[in-house]
Amino acid sequence: MSAPPFALRDLGKSFAGIFACRHIDLAVAAGEVLAVVGENGAGKSTLMKCLHGFHAPSEGCIEVDGAAVKFNSPRDAEAAGISMIPQELDLFAELSVFENLFVGQHRPRTRWGGFDRRGMQRRAKEILGSLGVDLDVSLPVKALSAANGKLVEIARALNRDARLIIMDEPTAALTEREAERLFAVIGELKAQGIAVIYITHRLEELFRISDRIIVLRDGALVASGLTANFDIPKLIHAMVGRPLEQFFARHPHPPGEIVLELRQLGRRGSFERIDLQLRAGEVLGLAGLVGAGRSELAQAIFGIAPADSGTIWIGGQPLRIGSVADAIAHGIAYLPEERRSQGLVLPFSIRENISFAALEHFTGWGLVDRRREGAFASDALRRFGIKGAGIDAPVEVLSGGNQQKVLIAKILALEPKIVVFDEPTRGVDIGAKSEIYAIIDELARQGKAIVLISSEMNEVLSIADRIMVLCQGEVTGMFSRSDFSAPAIGAAAAGQRAHHVC
Amino acid sequence: MAARASARKSRAIHFSVSRFTARPEAPSLIFLALLIVALSASTPEFATVANLRGVLEQVAVVSIVALAVNQVVLAGEIDVSTGSLVAVCSFIYGDVATAHGEAWLALLAALMTGAVVGSINGALATYGRVPSIIATIGMLFILRGIVLLTAGAQVINLSADSRLFGAGTNFGIPTSLIVLATMFIAMYALSEHSAFGRDVYAIGGNPRAARTVGLPIYRVRWLTFVLSGLSCGLAAAVLLGQIGQLQATAATGFELKVIAAIVLGGTRITGGRGSNASPVIGAVLVGVILNALTLNRVPGSYELLVLGALILGAVAFDGCRQRLLGRGR
Amino acid sequence: MPAVILSRRLPRLDRNVGLALVLIVELVIISALVPGYFSLGGLFDASRQFAEAGLIALGMTLIIITGGVDLSVGSLLALVSVTIGFSYQAGLSLATAILAGVAVGALGGFFNGVMVTALGLHPLVVTLATFALYRGIAFAVSKANAVSNFPPWFAFFGEKTIAHLVPVQLVCFVLLAVGFSIVLGRTAFGRRLYAIGHNELTARFSGVNTAAVKIAVYTLTGCLVGLAGVIYTSRISSARANAGFGLELTVIAMVVLGGTKITGGSGTILGTVLGVLILSYLQDGLAFAGVRSDSGLIVTGAFLIVAVLLNERFRKEPR
Repeated sequence: MSAPPFALRDLGKSFAGIFACRHIDLAVAAGEVLAVVGENGAGKSTLMKCLHGFHAPSEGCIEVDGAAVKFNSPRDAEAAGISMIPQELDLFAELSVFENLFVGQHRPRTRWGGFDRRGMQRRAKEILGSLGVDLDVSLPVKALSAANGKLVEIARALNRDARLIIMDEPTAALTEREAERLFAVIGELKAQGIAVIYITHRLEELFRISDRIIVLRDGALVASGLTANFDIPKLIHAMVGRPLEQFFARHPHPPGEIVLELRQLGRRGSFERIDLQLRAGEVLGLAGLVGAGRSELAQAIFGIAPADSGTIWIGGQPLRIGSVADAIAHGIAYLPEERRSQGLVLPFSIRENISFAALEHFTGWGLVDRRREGAFASDALRRFGIKGAGIDAPVEVLSGGNQQKVLIAKILALEPKIVVFDEPTRGVDIGAKSEIYAIIDELARQGKAIVLISSEMNEVLSIADRIMVLCQGEVTGMFSRSDFSAPAIGAAAAGQRAHHVC
Repeated sequence: MAARASARKSRAIHFSVSRFTARPEAPSLIFLALLIVALSASTPEFATVANLRGVLEQVAVVSIVALAVNQVVLAGEIDVSTGSLVAVCSFIYGDVATAHGEAWLALLAALMTGAVVGSINGALATYGRVPSIIATIGMLFILRGIVLLTAGAQVINLSADSRLFGAGTNFGIPTSLIVLATMFIAMYALSEHSAFGRDVYAIGGNPRAARTVGLPIYRVRWLTFVLSGLSCGLAAAVLLGQIGQLQATAATGFELKVIAAIVLGGTRITGGRGSNASPVIGAVLVGVILNALTLNRVPGSYELLVLGALILGAVAFDGCRQRLLGRGR
Repeated sequence: MPAVILSRRLPRLDRNVGLALVLIVELVIISALVPGYFSLGGLFDASRQFAEAGLIALGMTLIIITGGVDLSVGSLLALVSVTIGFSYQAGLSLATAILAGVAVGALGGFFNGVMVTALGLHPLVVTLATFALYRGIAFAVSKANAVSNFPPWFAFFGEKTIAHLVPVQLVCFVLLAVGFSIVLGRTAFGRRLYAIGHNELTARFSGVNTAAVKIAVYTLTGCLVGLAGVIYTSRISSARANAGFGLELTVIAMVVLGGTKITGGSGTILGTVLGVLILSYLQDGLAFAGVRSDSGLIVTGAFLIVAVLLNERFRKEPR
């Protein structure tokens, strides 16, 4: 039996001593579609970055046609035939379609010495044609839709003689029809003998296009096999691992008054007709796939990207939240999704980060009272169990979990009544995760109203009192504790409206 | 049947019109056309051959440098040292021409000087990680200081032979315009038909993606600075040819005209969008506007104001357009 | 651990100490090479010249900390000077003319700030345009003439001294430097400036009105330019449109020399003050030794490039 075109042998990658993925053994055959699933933080993107040459593996190796290779950069991986199509479009907007195909590549020349533009256009049309796509290749890429942009990226990979194309959440920004077209294109790729690694959270899709599935959990390969041997419950079980009930013991509290109400809230292009009632002391889980509009909804409540239709009611009063300052004034706090680029100022010390959103509370006569600030920060360190450095150390020396706790301390400094957590345990180790769950539980006990946005099914099922599911900007399901079921929520996230939604 | 054919034809025309207006130099070209029409109607002296020829000759020097600095801007950087560099190259040219009498030798010396300074600028801005605005402003002042110190109150007068590149006509076309045309053709060939030229657009348009693809970002940007320096050497030869004499304060404020020409012509100041026609159209636009001021007896002290307002207007216009087209979140 | 070295505090202290040493060494060298230079009166006298650039450098420090830059300060100074001179000539009382000048400075800074925030334009481009625009307006208004017939009391700002030794503008500079240092290092506003320079998105997510802060910083610098314009016009007893030529270069060089990174997020007033002193005494020493003033351009340009080069060597990743 000849060697598979691409294989990973006992691959592992660690950052600062902690392994993001380890002992990964994998082989990809020509013309096969391999689906990779796993929750956020399971190690999927690290694995793919190793395969694409962005990271150097810490353990094990990559094999191309049976021989071990070392990639020093994505360019090396491309030369070996591995291409990556990231989630966000990575094209040159002002250049035309055919130009994009040839960036960094050898361009054909005419007899006179100039570039053979007609030749390049012809080749571009040819490649797109082989995928069943007909586009005007002289148009600048910025004039194309997101779906067509994806197709151009695939064509670009083909122009580089790719034999393996890694696609990261390719349907995240596509409509159903556009996704269908993409599936047809993938079928063409298979026919040409090109392998595809397909990363997605949309479990329904896998059964349509993939030949094999592998499941990652906490950096390890926990399941692998033919797609025909899997079904959704089995997949979810492999992804989640532990029996759902033992994950975290939540103490549900009797919910209090309605603190926040959304009536037909909408923002063009992000979400629409959202109705919601949030009570004091309850945790509302907000589930859905990447691109469903959950962060956008949170950011509308928090005033960063205000809604353009519908109303927000707080404490029984309709309000206009047009800025972050408005939201904070009304007692709303938001833990951003990206703690490094949206939540923390990395070079600032721990105490400076914690106090940053609430500086007014620590100033006397215009100057910052460092003693009061220090006391508050030390207290926060103790209260939230932040370990790894003292309050004057720069926050970037802390681990992910401790950084997240600093961020939580920061947003709680203003004593908000409503707290929105956006993926609070992403990139956080197990120990810190359960500490964060305990914090959320305690906040609910204190009577705060909490929204928990999470893509981890298990997390949402354990912590939330109710779960609202969004799909493509609309509410597709509302579940109370008695109705909680992973398959039902997963189905609602994929677009099937649950019966409970009126 | 005929209806469908004509409908198709009008669709085709509509398509090519919208294709044209989407080009970066379209707004400025349209504006230039309107301006010329308006001026020809309102100011009688404008549309004369003598006046237009004078404008074009002045525009030639700015265009030569603008064509090269255009590449720097397209790649995502900026070069404001051109005024002082033209002055330095002029003195080199003048010295070599007076000492040896050979115009082509003097041109070579000027070009080499320009290239050396350009490569220093480029090295500072890329490998040195000094923001190009800082590096080139610093160089602007250093070079001007050198010229003032070494040349002082000196005035160089050139012999007729040495004025080869700017004076006189060949086949009825002013020499400076011939030099400009040559430069344009060379830039066009480089920009459209070399990997370097295409990489400039990619690097300026999406530096992150360019890095992932593995384009030689530092090398390409460095080369654009060298080009800019070379163009200053060439412009010095043409300028000297036109004026015939030279002082230490020559070309002061020149860099501003170059930047104005580039942004007015439609090149995006942040890089990635623009064509080779843009800086030339922009230079003509600046030249025509300044000419209009002169013809209407507006005092010369208004020139700086107009240049500043033009630059501000052009970038504000492009900024608004980007905002309205929904690039903001 | 390398991360600790990135802490804002440690290198700042080290760097300012280093700068102070450089200053002392420089003064020693100059007084050794240039006989007759070193005297208390001489040192104070030099401050007459650097106080103007120094004042503006205070504001420029704040701007650069937030990640911006202002290339128009020299031209704005000319506009302020021309406003004072020509509105006085037009009949306004000198006191009103002075106020008008300062107001023009504030307005110029405000305009820069609004263009940068409202239209989202890069500060480099905006201030390059206003660099031309403001001086252009100055030339247009003054028609390249100058106004010199000011009453004697006007010299208070630029030529008078306190206790026969300390120039007025130096006192002004020192007071404002202390004030700015407190604002930058000890107030919430100062914290927000550093945060915006490091990560504007985080600042916005934290409730900071980044647009208002940026406009404030540009306007504040404009006010300082106004003040410097008054002092300058008083010192040379003349208002003309070619004032402050090359000033933006000098000011930015001083700020960067003082340790402020051009990319934003770090910098101190003390560092800027040391940068002001180092550069000014160097130029003053050269002038005293008879070296031509054109050399000042070369020196300043070279210092600017070298200072940024050394600063940026310690950046983590390429742009």
